[in-house]
Amino acid sequence: MSSPSLCAATCSTSLRLPPPILRFRRPGALASVPAARSAPAVSDDLVLRIAEQLEDSVAASSPLLDPLRSASALSLLSTRWPTRRSNEAFRFTDISYLRSLPISLPSQAPALAAPSSPYPSYIHFSDGVLTSTSGVHVSALADLPPGPARDRAAAVLAASAEFADKDLFYDFNAIGAKDVAVVHVPEGVSMADDPVHIMFSYSGNGDGSMVMSNPRVLVLAEKGAEVAIVEEHFEVGQEDGGCYWANPVMEIILEEDAKVVHSYVQRQSFEAAHTKWTVIQQSKSSKYEFVEVSIGARLNRHNLHIQQLGPETDTQLSAFHFLSQDKQIHDLHSKLILDHPRGLSNQLHKCIASSTGNAIFDGNIKVNRYAQQTDAGQETRCLLLSPKALINVKPNLQIIADDVKCTHGAAISGEHDPNALYFFQARGIDVKTAADALNFAFGAHVINKIPFKPIEKNALAQFKELLASSRQE
Amino acid sequence: MAPPFAAAAAAAAVASSSSYALFSASADRPLLRHQMPPSSISVRPRRRTTAASAAAESTGRALLEARDLFACVKESGEEILTGLNLTIREGEVHALMGPNGSGKSTLMKVLAGHPEYEVTAGTVIFKGENLIDMEPEERSLAGIFMSFQAPVEIPGVNNYDFLLMALNARREKKGLPALGPLQIFPIVEEKVRALDMNADILNRAVNEGFSGGERKRNEILQLSVLGADLALLDEIDSGLDVDAIEDVAKVVNGMLAPHNSVMMITHYQRLLDLIKPSYVHIMEKGKIVKTGDRSLAYYVDESGYKDIATV
Ligand SMILES: Nc1ncnc2c1ncn2[C@@H]1O[C@H](COP(=O)(O)OP(=O)(O)OP(=O)(O)O)[C@@H](O)[C@H]1O
Ligand SMILES: [Mg+2]
Repeated sequence: MSSPSLCAATCSTSLRLPPPILRFRRPGALASVPAARSAPAVSDDLVLRIAEQLEDSVAASSPLLDPLRSASALSLLSTRWPTRRSNEAFRFTDISYLRSLPISLPSQAPALAAPSSPYPSYIHFSDGVLTSTSGVHVSALADLPPGPARDRAAAVLAASAEFADKDLFYDFNAIGAKDVAVVHVPEGVSMADDPVHIMFSYSGNGDGSMVMSNPRVLVLAEKGAEVAIVEEHFEVGQEDGGCYWANPVMEIILEEDAKVVHSYVQRQSFEAAHTKWTVIQQSKSSKYEFVEVSIGARLNRHNLHIQQLGPETDTQLSAFHFLSQDKQIHDLHSKLILDHPRGLSNQLHKCIASSTGNAIFDGNIKVNRYAQQTDAGQETRCLLLSPKALINVKPNLQIIADDVKCTHGAAISGEHDPNALYFFQARGIDVKTAADALNFAFGAHVINKIPFKPIEKNALAQFKELLASSRQE
Repeated sequence: MAPPFAAAAAAAAVASSSSYALFSASADRPLLRHQMPPSSISVRPRRRTTAASAAAESTGRALLEARDLFACVKESGEEILTGLNLTIREGEVHALMGPNGSGKSTLMKVLAGHPEYEVTAGTVIFKGENLIDMEPEERSLAGIFMSFQAPVEIPGVNNYDFLLMALNARREKKGLPALGPLQIFPIVEEKVRALDMNADILNRAVNEGFSGGERKRNEILQLSVLGADLALLDEIDSGLDVDAIEDVAKVVNGMLAPHNSVMMITHYQRLLDLIKPSYVHIMEKGKIVKTGDRSLAYYVDESGYKDIATV
């Protein structure tokens, strides 16, 4: 906590944290880390090994991240690697792929230039390293000049140290993030026409190890501000698919009356892992619209966490997951916590699982005592294209308030409506082509909600290609 | 596989709907109608003969022949068609009438290969081939088009893309290269205009949220874009307003040629005044109990179906 500029914003938080930053040592060396070991922590060799690696690599990171880093370092000391048996949040999700290969960290200087963006405002992370930013309200945390914007960002990051629902991936990111890309939209500013395009390109390093990266983004929409962000995670370079582990965190703060339109496309290589946190806080009368399209990665775990901070919020969530590969795992764990009156929310989850894919959806919506007159809808629809594909869905609405309107629906089917198929046939279109069209329509329904044409078109094209290739098998 | 869902198609349809408005100034359409009063809507002279003389002069080649056809609902085994006989020759227009539940729609669906039904006995020959052995899409490609009495909604499948897919399936069958979304636009646009449809309908999901009349017109749009040797039209007049029935009849009449035929189900005279049938069949309890000329339809209009078989 050496940075003086941090003090005003974060001292209440940072005081509670144990300075200085912990150093990780694996069991055996643990005796030399006396700090914060008052309770007998259950440490885990693998967790500590990764933490140690990450910590060694970020020696020169921004001091504004210290409170967050310290808190996460502390939790990691007592966090065990989650297993399906020991950890309810991973009950259906087999993350063993993450420990199947040695983990390496990205080199300091990524050689690749930023991929071109159709938009003037963009942020580029190359293998998790923040390499460039462009646009008025976009900056690296490290480059923010002292002033209110920087103080605000620091305060938010420090408060993130207190995030109660986090898991070890969140903590890994906290200690592994070197810098934070900050999108700060000041009060009343509307920049919704063109999005801030956040590009996460990954390549792996082709040496049989899994390159782990921990990019972090903070979006701050002040009172009445409007911003659109497009977040894309994709492969560059490697022909046959790079092996890497992307572990990003995206935090979005919506102040009163703010509006954030968030599109998120994950199309990484099928050798890659993607463990992601999206953490949203919505103040009074704010509106958050989210569209997720996840079609890549061998293992994909997305934690979407939305906390309502004031009344009359509007939350629109749509997600589409397509599992086209053998043993592919896609998991969406979402949690929406409503604590204030007259909130409106809609969640749509759709997925198609083919081959031996395993899709998981755990969608929790909590309508707490003071969230009266909430209108919350949740729907999940899954399509199983192969007898060996597996889907675990657990949509759950927990309603404590008594004056609410909540609707939910869940449907899993293995085939299309025969009347719809016949309609195609009656017009000369064979069943396979018809099923393709219906599968495509199923996913396009969500992809079409991406409000930016080039991004939408690209996602549609990739989905279509995967659909065609998965059919040939 | 056909590449049917190009995002470009949607874009084309959007782009087109504006250009469409340019040359469909509402002023020129009523004019067209005045030039062609309902009584002269038929574009070619139609034989007006009695059933007996029609049978005698039936020189056209048989297009479809059903013999002693029995069919049941697959799931329950309930028999719906009970020994039906029907011959449709090239260039003929047939009307199929009969009380509700007599099996008219079932007959059409059986001919079009609907999977809910099973043929248990009898034969159907279409253009010299055994129709019953053909898949539904093969029947369509062979030239049978059935317009549904109640067309289904296909959420997420763009109406324009659907037409493109269907058209390209036909081209593939003929060994022709697939067309792109922009190439079929002039064809589709012209048909949409002929049916006095709102071009916006092309850019919506197939039948999703369409009104009853819009669905019916959409069926006829598909017919006119795809063409057919034998069009089976199931109550295309129900749910249509008077002007729409005239538009639809005009399109159907415009498609009639010496080699293709129509069978239409209707409960009303009006359609038969516009598309003039050479034969009227009355169906009862799963078979055709009487065949005659248009005068039979007038009789039904006046006296209903009671004792019709013995008239
Ligand atoms: N899939 C089905 N399952 C069960 N019953 C069926 C099915 N299809 C047809 N039927 C029954 O077969 C009979 C004939 O139905 P169909 O729809 O062919 O009558 P229709 O002559 O077209 O009548 P309408 O004039 O009312 O349209 C009806 O009693 C109907 O209930
Ligand atoms: Mg009927």
